[in-house]
Amino acid sequence: MTKGVDVDLEDVWIRFGDFVAVREANVNIKGGEFFSFLGPSGCGKTTILRSVSGFLEPSQGKVKIGGKDMAGIGPNKRPTALIFQNLALFPLMKVWENITFSLEVKGIGKAERRKRADELLDMIALPDQGEKLPSELSGGQKQRVAIARALCAEPDVLLLDEPLSALDLKLRQHMRTELREIQQRVGITFIYITHDQGEALTMSDNVAVMRAGIIDQVATGHRIYNDPATPFVASFVGENNVFRGTVKSVDGDMALVSTNRTGELLSRIATSAKGKLKVGDSAMMFIRPEACNIAEDTSPAVNRFSAVVKHEEFEGQIYNVFLEGSEGKEIKMSLVNIGKQRAPAVGNELMLEYEPQQAVVLPAGELASE
Amino acid sequence: MNIARFFRNYFTRNGIGLGTFLLVAVLFWVVVLIILPQLSMLDFSFRHHLPPPEMGGPKDTYTLEHYKYLVLGAPGADTSYNVVDLGVFGRTLLAAFFVTILDLVLCYPLAYYLGQSKGGGFIRVLVLLLIIPYWVNEILRAFAFRIIFGDSGLINEMLLAMGLVDSPIDFIRANVALYAGLGYAYILLMIFPIYNVIESLDRNQIEAARDMGAPWWRIHWRVVIPYAKPGISSGCTMVFMLTAGALAAPQILGGPSSLWFTQIIYQWFNQGGNWPRGAAFAIVLLVTCIIIVLSTMRLFKVRIGDIGK
Amino acid sequence: MKAENVFLKIILGAYLAVFFGYLLGPLIVMSITAFNSPSFPKMTPWECLTFEWFDVLANDTRILNGIENSLIVGVGTVFLSVIMGLAAALLLTQIWPKLRATYYTVVIAPILIPGVVLGISTLVFWDRISVMLGMETGGILHNGIFLTILGQSTFIASYCMLVFVARLQRFDTDLTEAALDLGATHVQAFWKILLPFMKPAIGSAAVLAFLASFENYNTTTFTFGKFPTLTIELAQKVRYGINPSISSLAFIIIVLTIIGALAYEVYRRRQQLALANGAPVGAISSGFQLPRIFRRNPAAVILVLLALGGFSTIWFAQTYSPDVCKMDVREQKRLIQEERIKAIQEKRQLEMQQKQQQGTGVLGGSKSDAPAAQSPGQGAFGNVFKPGNLDKTTTEPKADKPAQSPGKGAFGDVFAPNNLDKTPPKED
Repeated sequence: MTKGVDVDLEDVWIRFGDFVAVREANVNIKGGEFFSFLGPSGCGKTTILRSVSGFLEPSQGKVKIGGKDMAGIGPNKRPTALIFQNLALFPLMKVWENITFSLEVKGIGKAERRKRADELLDMIALPDQGEKLPSELSGGQKQRVAIARALCAEPDVLLLDEPLSALDLKLRQHMRTELREIQQRVGITFIYITHDQGEALTMSDNVAVMRAGIIDQVATGHRIYNDPATPFVASFVGENNVFRGTVKSVDGDMALVSTNRTGELLSRIATSAKGKLKVGDSAMMFIRPEACNIAEDTSPAVNRFSAVVKHEEFEGQIYNVFLEGSEGKEIKMSLVNIGKQRAPAVGNELMLEYEPQQAVVLPAGELASE
Repeated sequence: MNIARFFRNYFTRNGIGLGTFLLVAVLFWVVVLIILPQLSMLDFSFRHHLPPPEMGGPKDTYTLEHYKYLVLGAPGADTSYNVVDLGVFGRTLLAAFFVTILDLVLCYPLAYYLGQSKGGGFIRVLVLLLIIPYWVNEILRAFAFRIIFGDSGLINEMLLAMGLVDSPIDFIRANVALYAGLGYAYILLMIFPIYNVIESLDRNQIEAARDMGAPWWRIHWRVVIPYAKPGISSGCTMVFMLTAGALAAPQILGGPSSLWFTQIIYQWFNQGGNWPRGAAFAIVLLVTCIIIVLSTMRLFKVRIGDIGK
Repeated sequence: MKAENVFLKIILGAYLAVFFGYLLGPLIVMSITAFNSPSFPKMTPWECLTFEWFDVLANDTRILNGIENSLIVGVGTVFLSVIMGLAAALLLTQIWPKLRATYYTVVIAPILIPGVVLGISTLVFWDRISVMLGMETGGILHNGIFLTILGQSTFIASYCMLVFVARLQRFDTDLTEAALDLGATHVQAFWKILLPFMKPAIGSAAVLAFLASFENYNTTTFTFGKFPTLTIELAQKVRYGINPSISSLAFIIIVLTIIGALAYEVYRRRQQLALANGAPVGAISSGFQLPRIFRRNPAAVILVLLALGGFSTIWFAQTYSPDVCKMDVREQKRLIQEERIKAIQEKRQLEMQQKQQQGTGVLGGSKSDAPAAQSPGQGAFGNVFKPGNLDKTTTEPKADKPAQSPGKGAFGDVFAPNNLDKTPPKED
């Protein structure tokens, strides 16, 4: 198989009339990388994918594949293969004909195509299913056929447009692992589009988080989750308790935030905001539900606040506890279920504490809407 | 987006060969088969009736004579208007209107019944039975009515045998056969548009209306008919146009005293040999029908795009 | 509530009876007249069962010639309208949005333009072209077949387009993009993806176009020139001289129609069965009482019964001779006639001074010389069905299809779902 090649977006703008779908996208995707675009629907991630695959030309800027500018090169001439959201298997062709369609259009003979199809069917663990029609396959099988069909074209870059969204939860989780395995086996560049953060974080080497046409952050899954670059990323990826307020003091990496309703709280400054956050700036502080804990020491401190238990949800491995802080501030806390009954009773007033290193503060900005 | 860009996109999308072929096929149809013949007929209707050698000669000028003829009659006639032709014209439109109403009344209940029942074998059989007559030649269908309504036809023989009448009733002269045949000829074009629309009406809406205590006629008046309006107007438009433009049924079933307007056109072409006059009459028929249909559609707020769905 | 329901059901039943009586009654009456011996098609009084009208039809060269012309015109019209309709439908999806409504109005208009207008305008337009080109009268542009095909295609293409538009709406444009993405050219994507998808629609559009062409009168009556189609011939026969051979033709068409409709229904049912078997329910009913095709498929049963009925009728027709019956009828009529004449004579004798009255006598007289033509030839009957066989081509696109897939669907599909279900766990 070919070694994956770099994909570069250089100052890409895509406009539809007055509407700006993608704004100033600058991304370098390394060869052989599993790269995801993560964002809510309508954020422009599919548009980016279509500009890479060649179904639309950027209004401005360059799309480079393997260092080569792709301007004016149609989708059938680019070294990319796209897996569609609805898979787009050809319903009237048999499975093996679907898989080897890219060879058929090159005029390669039937015997050779059949042989190649069988190899690929073995690879996706669907031997002897070649004579079937796509409609006779199950959801996961169709998924694998779509992958085989794309790989048969021997692309340098494989593009995947939310291909797992139609599957049920179990199968989706299974396919994540499988996709990752395939990617490591064939070693080509994967560009994956999803609105599901779980998918993005589990599979990707790097993730780009998009909001309304803008790429907010490009980083590894860890960085995205633990060190978000914007309030949008902090609130879109995973869950977060948001505390609005102003910066009271800055001390190295740490800042003391005077929150609107919960008093003064200490937090780490996000990497992207280091050196930019000044005293008096309006800021947003984020504490993840799993970073909260019930404090044994109930004396006031800059990493403690009190709240009243409103109700709880039991999810199996964790309890979600919903609390109300002062002035009706809603707070969520997640406790790991370690066997003993430790869920606090409804109506109790608790003192919560957190590790200031696990909280993060950013200049105030737009949040992901629920 | 400008035209040039549109064409560039068009040809990249379809390829040069295929794109050109599609364009040529559609242009041939639209221009050579639809638009130019209509224009040429319009042009022709303003010309004098000349023998072929004089066509294009000095006498070949534009004239309103044929339209004048339709309104005023032959010069020197004893009436100031062309009572005969105008009368036929008016009667044709009126009759077409009544046939349309008849078909609508007849078809709406069935379309509703078929559309709202949950499919099943019986319904499929009914639909098949609906389609079968339509596959039989129009002439033969009209002919069947002649067998039934003729002087010694089925109905008269039965009436005579039962002693209800002494001598055969002349259904042909009374135009009963004609209206029955015309109503029959295009009944399918009424039923299917309405059926298609009603089929897509959510049954729950009717249930809901019924729950709220609406009587059946109010359910139809307030829920079903407004929803089915595109289908109804589509069906009515087609039946009206086709009935007004029918030729076979009037020729076969029309009484000796009653002409259909299309028959007059036919006579100018085939017996009178006066093509320009026939063309003028055809233009009048076409324009009138279009005006009637468009104004009805405007009245009921239905778009042309709904036709044929 | 209950009583109201019963009442409603009665009303509904009566309405359905009236409606379908209106719809089917004329066809049934006409079919019956094909087997009655009087030379004017009539159902009452029933005289003799006869098949002679099929013979008359089979020997009617004008009808046969008309059928031939209709077939030629039909094939040309199908060809032209399907291509134009398909092109127009494809263009509709791509055309500049601002132009779309206008474009749609123009291509749908021929359905609404009266047929006579289309016929006239075609005739006038090509006559003009011919004059402009300085061609002689009677050239290709005055050729009846040429004009009829063009005139009919003008509006039949609109019907075809509607069929294609309906099908195209269900086409997933992702499929074309997928093909392009896999390296296909636009033309390859068209031929390998879109066209196969449109195939069923092309089939039904072709059938629709052929039927519409075959029965068209209004347009053809202006354009046929020296090539009268079957419909034109029928119209002339109906207007100028009728005998029941027309009924026999109608009967043949009706029977073929029913066979075509039933064959289509059988095909549809089979497909549904195949589809149902593809579902993971895997319903294999215990024991096969009937061959697979017939289960839950009354249409197939009717079709077979119909075929049996048809064969037995043909056999019966070849052995049966209505001569005896006809003789009886003639004898009876003669007797009635004599009695009437006698009665009239008596009347006359009684009312010598009054004016002569003949009235009904004349009517009866004309009837008596009716069954003149008679030759229940045996081989000839077979001929009648020859034109019918040609007609069958209309239903062929539909009737052909059942042969394609069901064999495979029968068993492999039943077990397949289980296979499918089992595979995913294996890999886990």
